[in-house]
Order: sequence, then structure tokens, then C-alpha cells
Amino acid sequence: MSEVITPTTPAPRPLSNKERMGLPHQEMPLHDAEARVKTFDEVPIGYSEEMARAEAMRCLQCKKPACIGACPVGINIPAFIKLIEQGEFGAAAKKIRETNFLPAVCGRVCPQDKQCQAVCVVGRKNIPVGIGNLERFAADYERNHHLQEIPQVGEPTGKRVAVIGSGPAGLAAAYELSIRGHEVVVFEASHRAGGVMVYGIPRFRLPLKIVDEDIRFLTRLGVRFVYNMVIGKVLTIEDLLKHEGFDAVMIGTGAGLPRMLDVPGSNANGVYSANEYLTRIYLMDAHHFPKYSTPISAGKKIGVIGAGNTAMDVMRTAKRLGAEVTCYYRRSHDEAPARSEELKHAEQEGINWRWLSNPVEFLVDENNFVQKIKCERMTLSEPDETGRRKPVPTGEFFVEDCDTVVMSLGCSVNPIIPSTDSDIHVNKWGVIVVDTETCQTSKKGVFAAGDAITGGSTVILAMGQAKKAAAGIHAYLMGQQEAVSATSTTQISG
Amino acid sequence: MTDRVHDIVKDMDPRSVESVTQALDKAKLLEDLTLDEKTCLAEAFFEVFNHAHHTHSSSMPKVAVRAGKRIAKFGPELIPLLFRHLVESDSETAVYYGKALARNGNVGLAYLVPKLNEYREKDHDLINLIQALSYFKIPEASATVPFVLSVSQHVNHQVTSMALYTAGRLAEKLPTSAFSEELRHFIFNTSFRFLSHAQVLVRKNAARTLGKMMRRGLLSEEDEKKVYKAFLAITGRDDHHNWDRAFIVRREAEGFLPYFHQQSPPVRRYTQSYKIVSKRLLCTNTYHFTLDTPLIARKIEAGQFVIVRPHIFSERIPLSICNWDREKGTIDIIVSAVGKTTTEINAMMVGDSFEDVVGPLGERSVLPTASGTCVVIGGGYGTGAIIPTARDVKAMGNKVIGIVGARNKDSLIMVQELQDACTEVILTTNDGSAGIGGMVTDALREVLLREPVVYVLAIGPVPMMKAISDMTRPHHIATYVSLNAIMVDGTGMCGACRVTVGGETKFACFHGPDFDGHKVDFENLMKRQKMFVKEEKVAFERMKL
Repeated sequence: MSEVITPTTPAPRPLSNKERMGLPHQEMPLHDAEARVKTFDEVPIGYSEEMARAEAMRCLQCKKPACIGACPVGINIPAFIKLIEQGEFGAAAKKIRETNFLPAVCGRVCPQDKQCQAVCVVGRKNIPVGIGNLERFAADYERNHHLQEIPQVGEPTGKRVAVIGSGPAGLAAAYELSIRGHEVVVFEASHRAGGVMVYGIPRFRLPLKIVDEDIRFLTRLGVRFVYNMVIGKVLTIEDLLKHEGFDAVMIGTGAGLPRMLDVPGSNANGVYSANEYLTRIYLMDAHHFPKYSTPISAGKKIGVIGAGNTAMDVMRTAKRLGAEVTCYYRRSHDEAPARSEELKHAEQEGINWRWLSNPVEFLVDENNFVQKIKCERMTLSEPDETGRRKPVPTGEFFVEDCDTVVMSLGCSVNPIIPSTDSDIHVNKWGVIVVDTETCQTSKKGVFAAGDAITGGSTVILAMGQAKKAAAGIHAYLMGQQEAVSATSTTQISG
Repeated sequence: MTDRVHDIVKDMDPRSVESVTQALDKAKLLEDLTLDEKTCLAEAFFEVFNHAHHTHSSSMPKVAVRAGKRIAKFGPELIPLLFRHLVESDSETAVYYGKALARNGNVGLAYLVPKLNEYREKDHDLINLIQALSYFKIPEASATVPFVLSVSQHVNHQVTSMALYTAGRLAEKLPTSAFSEELRHFIFNTSFRFLSHAQVLVRKNAARTLGKMMRRGLLSEEDEKKVYKAFLAITGRDDHHNWDRAFIVRREAEGFLPYFHQQSPPVRRYTQSYKIVSKRLLCTNTYHFTLDTPLIARKIEAGQFVIVRPHIFSERIPLSICNWDREKGTIDIIVSAVGKTTTEINAMMVGDSFEDVVGPLGERSVLPTASGTCVVIGGGYGTGAIIPTARDVKAMGNKVIGIVGARNKDSLIMVQELQDACTEVILTTNDGSAGIGGMVTDALREVLLREPVVYVLAIGPVPMMKAISDMTRPHHIATYVSLNAIMVDGTGMCGACRVTVGGETKFACFHGPDFDGHKVDFENLMKRQKMFVKEEKVAFERMKL
């Protein structure tokens, strides 16, 4: 009788911090730049399980993690990374879901280099932990292995909330409110849910199926989506509160009013706002013209003005449509507001850059089609008291050919709701004014979150505010109930 | 007649509040009146009743009620007299006779009840009798309800509605204990039956009775649910969206909705079918469609538009509205086949549905600020779009002249509808086959020579709107044009529809579509509209293959 020795893996010796600091950063594998600019497929391939665990090992599991505080929704980052390190990928995703119900989206589109990864202690001496990539990995693992669970929904409260807009803020608020037991109806102006995640963020950054998955998840929680409803027009906020039986309203209409450059020729043909360009393609499938009837003048030489995330999206989209793309930005590369990863990907894909170039005129042909772009060369001033270097005109000009111009200069807040309800106050930039604690607007029972109260920001910040607003709405609704049942002995906590 | 009564009666002016008040005060002091004296005073006060609604003083009705009280205090001997007057008087005056009778309490009721049967076949007299019953405040009055409601099977809807009104009023005023379970159910059943199928006034009072019963807690939980559901349907709050056609019924139901004890508010799906209800040919390649869009139909105003997407592969295009029916929940659009999407729409049939219809979008038309002659001008498909605004302008009391332009007699559309909306309609055709030969501007020039104009609205091809704006500019006439810019989303998000107005960039989809014609940069608009000419042609050619 021989003893069978079962090989056991030696218990992993916990790594010391010094050892962890020495581990190499796992680069996110990408599709080759040459190949990827021909398709709309997602650019990053994603971590393998081994890579994810190797990257997770780099986390020092700080006693006082700075990353949590740097996350707008406060994800318990060390905890979920620990779970990945232990190979508990499903549990890691569940951990993230405790605070963020769109992990697959946020792992892809969050500016981690300005948030969690910026404060990562590993980053002081080394490349910070790839928190975004790990988040993305956990969310994808969960989705691919169908591990997603419908969370426990609270006792029905009998309260109804109307959420206006189905973008990041709207979806996050809908989630937070429905798990607290409120009935939620989401009103969407377009024919499709997802807001900016559908019409604005390109498919190669965020595949549609991920957004649809999250929306399906919400419908399974009991959230109802209604399309083609421009609130303010077909039903006003007043109608929702007075006649349609809603107890509260959450405005998540975003920043949907593009800013345009006020220079000669800015209303020429072939001059688009980034919103229009992206909407035509991603919402209306204009790149499949004429199968889909929405046209877009697919230019050969496209000039994009601005260097934010949206500008990167436009440039990389145009590249995929076969155009030669040039970026015009009045400051330099270092001031470009885009997420560093996007900037890097755009650079890989062969965009021409004209830093320190401020467009002053668009020259047109006799049919008013844009033909040339005229720019003034700029220089950066010395840092002023705010530390910002201002672009200063030099008086030198240059002219370049282009047949399409896309302006990506940010957006103002969509004015339809404030303009149809005078009780909702806005500041001089049209941004809806809210209480900083509860996100309640100047109208009782009406709350707002997302770009509608910031005037243009990120998915994750919108979600963070939506969480706050949802908490505010919950307190408001339960407070109402308490006021009603003040005499009854049962106390409902807020 | 004794002097003391005579003095009072002689000095009293039944039209003057002070005089009647004095008379009432004097009458109060009199004691041991004989029947003759009482009758004399009563007859005098009846004059007050007759004048109660015909003086300018708002206190007169109150004084009349006081006079009624005084008469009631004279005692039951006057009941036959009151009754005789009650039967003979008009419904308005009968209020005071009724109230005076009701002050007599049980005796009055005992007198009135046998009379009901007697007058059963006399419609007009019966109305006043039933109305009088509604003023009784004694619990016994509830016993008359079954009879009151039994006469409500009456052919005359006025009697029926008065019966329901009375039942409702008694349910409102009398203590709830006066209504047995059986009686409550009887009132509910009768009223509920009349709520849906009856003359409007009857339905209104049925709704009122049901509402009052609900507020007094006279309905069982189950019945209350039924009423709630019915009221939701009447007000268009259920999933059919289209509200009841009768405004008075709707308003009655609306007022009661907040008081229902329903825990779960209505769950609406907010879906619209976007189905084509009717389609008719107006002229070559131009069709008139009626779409089922109840939510849009409830809100749309003159000047606003919708964006449609006929199927999932098509683009979103803006269309103006030429009419709507809030009750039926439909909107009317005119589509002229000029490109791929419009040709596709025109190929759709009754019963087909659009993929999406979004609206109402844009601001409503700017209406004239001064009153006088207003001119609305439609060219081509724009003829339909001016009709709602023309109707609004005319409703403000203005003279509205409609001018319609078309290539020839056959392409003139919506003329009858426009004639209904305007005071006068001038037709123009390029070839002179109908109306004035020439352009709409020729007709406008004649109107301007003929009379002062305060307001012009023009909807049609851009060159037409430009020519009209140029013509009215020297006269400083407020001129508005509706700009049909290229649009995608229609909510201000994309900026495709930007137009230059007064040197500023505006978005036609939400600043407009109507703008001051004197400030619009038409050149830029014309060029921008040609942005996708090449692509449109490709799509159109491809479609024909």
C-alpha cells in the first residue's frame, strides 16, 4: 500500500509591501492600432485572469486607503482588489456593486488617472495600480460567467419617483431608488436608453451590449423606461407631481446644449458640434448610410477643435470612417483635458496635432461648405496666480485644408426643463441650483444630479451625485410618510 | 289688511338690499300675525325672490335667503302658498322657494313628498320639486332619494340630472347615518350607470354624486375603486390617455381625484401607438395623415412640431402639425414626398405605425400684440401649418386673412380648413388656374395697399418667407416665419438646426421654430438646408432601385 501524496500548493506567503512595490505593472493589452482603426470594436482586450491577479498583487492594501476617498461613489477599492488577488472574481464584482452598479461602464470610461489612481500610494514610486482595469475585469468576469445577482429590493414603500433622462445620473438614481423600494419610471427623450453612453461615447470605448445589459438589469429590478418623452413639453414637472401621481422627480437631463465657436463661418455647412457628429453616428447609425437614412458628410480631411475626451472620441471615430484627422487646440499637449489613456490611444491611431492653435475663421466655398481652417498660433503665458497658463495670441496665422469641422468645446445645461418650470432656479450659466446636501432644487420634491447641476463632467461624478440625490429623495419621501403617520407608533427610519 | 303690515310692504323696494333688510327687521318685531297678514308679507318677499338674480348687488341673493327664512318662521300655514309658487317659478327663483320650504323641516317634507307622485308627468314642475328636496337638512330627507332616483329614468335629461344633483347634495349634507347600506348601494348603482352612458349634464351630475359620496365615505371600498377607475378614464389618466370628450364631466371628475383613498396611484405605461388612423391624398405626392398620439395631442399648441422616425432604419425628421384632436388623442400632419424618408412615409398605410413620434417640440407661435388685421401666409405644405395659429389669432378677435400659394389649381391644399380658420382667404397660383395669378407676395402687396396690417405669419419655402419678410420690413409689421432647419434630436442637444437670427446663433428646435422674419439670416439658412443634398440624392436613388 503506497501512500498517495496529493500535491498541495504551498500556502502563499503574504508578500511584503516592498515585494509588492517591486512587482511589474500589467499593461492593458490593446488591439493593434493599424487594425483597430478599421473597426468599431473595443480597443483594449482586457486582462486575463492571471494578469488580473498579478496586477491585484501590486495593491498594498493600505490601512487608510486614499483611493476610496478619491472615488466619487466611494468604491471599497482595496477590498475588491484583495478578492481579485484571491481569485474570488465574482465576489470582487459583487463588492464593487455595493456602491457602483455600472462597474463595466466605469471601468472603461472613468478618468482614473484623475481620481483613484492619482492618489494611489504605489504611484509615488511606480506606476499606480490599474484600478480601472481591475474594475473592468471584475465586471466583465461577472457578466461573462452570468454571476450577476438581482439584489434584495427593499419593502415597497408605495412612493413613486420619476427620473428624467436615462444617462449615467438617471440610471444610477433609478437603481438606488428601486433597491430602496420605491417605484421608478425613467423618462427618456430619445428612442433609446443610455443617454451619453449611447449617443456620445463611442462603441470602441464602450460596447453597446454593456449599456444594454445594465439597462436590462434595471428593468429586472422593476424600473420602467418610457421613450420619446421630452419632459417639460409632453408632460411638465408640475404634471408629474400633481397629476401623474409621482411623489418626487429626479432631473438627470445632462449637459445637452453644445457650445459653438463664435467666429466667421461657424455656421457653414460641414461644421458640426461634437454632439451632432457623434449622435448621427452612434444613435442614428449614419456610418451605415444609406442603409440607415441619417446622412453625415463623411469628410476626407476633418479638423476637430478641442482636446477633451469628446474631442478624442470624435477624432478616433472619424479615423475609423477613413478620414485624415487633425486636432486643433489652443493650449498645449500637457493641458489637454482628455483622459490620459484616450490621448495615448488617439496618438497611437495617427491623429495630426496642432497644439497652440486657435481657430479664428472657417473659409467656405460658394455653396457655404467649409474648405479651409484659419488658425492663430498661440503661446502659453507664465502661470498666473491660479497656476494656470493662459494661451496668448502671437499674431501669426496659418491656413489648412479641411472639408469637415467638428467643434468639441463642451456643453451647457439643456434648458428645456428650467425654461418650462420657473420654480426651478438656475445660475447665470444655466446650471440647475441644488442643495449641496440633498441635491434638492429650489422646487420642493424635485431633485437633480449629473451634468445638469455641474454643467459638464464625467459618468462617475454624475453617478456619485445621483447616489446623493437618491439618498436625498429617500429621506424626503420617508420624511413625508413620517409626517403623515406621525401619530402612529411605528417609526420609519429615513 | 292691517296698517302695520301695509307700512312695511309699501316702503319696501324689492330691488334694494337696504330696503329689504329694513323690512325684514321690522317684520321680525311683529307678533301675533294673522294668516292674511302673513300672506301679505310673504307675497311681498316673493318679489324679492324674483329680483334676487336681476340686481347688480351681490348681497341680494343672501337677502333673499334671509327673506325665505322669515317666511318659514311664519309657520306651516304658508306651505301651500310656497309650494304653488315653487311649482310655477323658474328654476333660479325656485331656489328661494325651495330653501324656504326646506326650513319647515318635517312638515315641509311631509307636504312635498305626496306631491312628487302627483307631478310625476309634469317635467318642468317636477324639476323644481326635486330641487327643493335637496335643501332639506333633516335625516328623513334621505328617504326621498329612491323616489327621486326612480323618476330619474325620465326621458327629460334635465329632470334626470336634477335628480342626481339632489341625491348628491343630500349625500353631502345629511349625516351619514341617514343612509342605510341598501340606500348607499342604490345611489351608487344608479349614478354609476349614468356615469358612462347618458346625456353630458346627467353624466356630470352622476360624477358629482359619486364624488360627494366618496368624500363622505358613503362608498364601499370596492365601489370606490370602481369610481376611481372610471374617473381616471374620464380624465385621461389611465393607459388610454385620451380623455373624455365632455369638458364638464372631465372637470367634475378631475376635482375629486385628489380625495380618493387609493393607496397605489395609477400605473401608466405612457405608451402611444403612433398608428396611422387615417390617410388621404391632398395633391400629387402629398398626403394628410392622422396619427394616434394621445399624449402629444393633449399638450400641443399652435406652432409646435413633432419629430418622427417611420422605421428603425430611417432618420428623424421634423414635421409641422396642421390640426389635433385632444379628446380623440390624434394629431394631423401633412407629408409631401421630396426625399427618401418622406417618400417612405407616404407609402405607409392606415393601420401602420411609426417607430417614433416625439413632441410637442419647440415654442408655440408668437401671437400678435396689437389687434387689427393679421395675415397668415402658407406656401406648399406650409398651408397646413398656418391653420392652428390662424385659429388662435382669430379667437383673439382679430380679422385674419389667409393667403395660400401653389403652382396650380390642383396643388392648392387645405383650402376648406383654412377658410374655416380665417375671416377671408386669398388663393394664388403661379399659372393663374385658380385665384390670383402670381405669387403670395402679390396678394400680400394688395392687402397691404388695402388696409393696415399688424401681424404677418409666413410658413413655406425659404425664398417665399424671405420675400415676405423683405416686403413687410419697410412697413414695420411684426412678421414671423417658421424655420424648417435640419434637425436630429429636436431637444437642443445636437445643434444641427442652428440658424442665425439678429446676428446670434439660435437653435430652431427649441428657440423656435418661429422667429422674427426681419432678423433671420435667410441666405445662411438656404445654404445650410443644402448640407446633405448629395447624400439625400444618393439615398433617394438607391431607394428607387
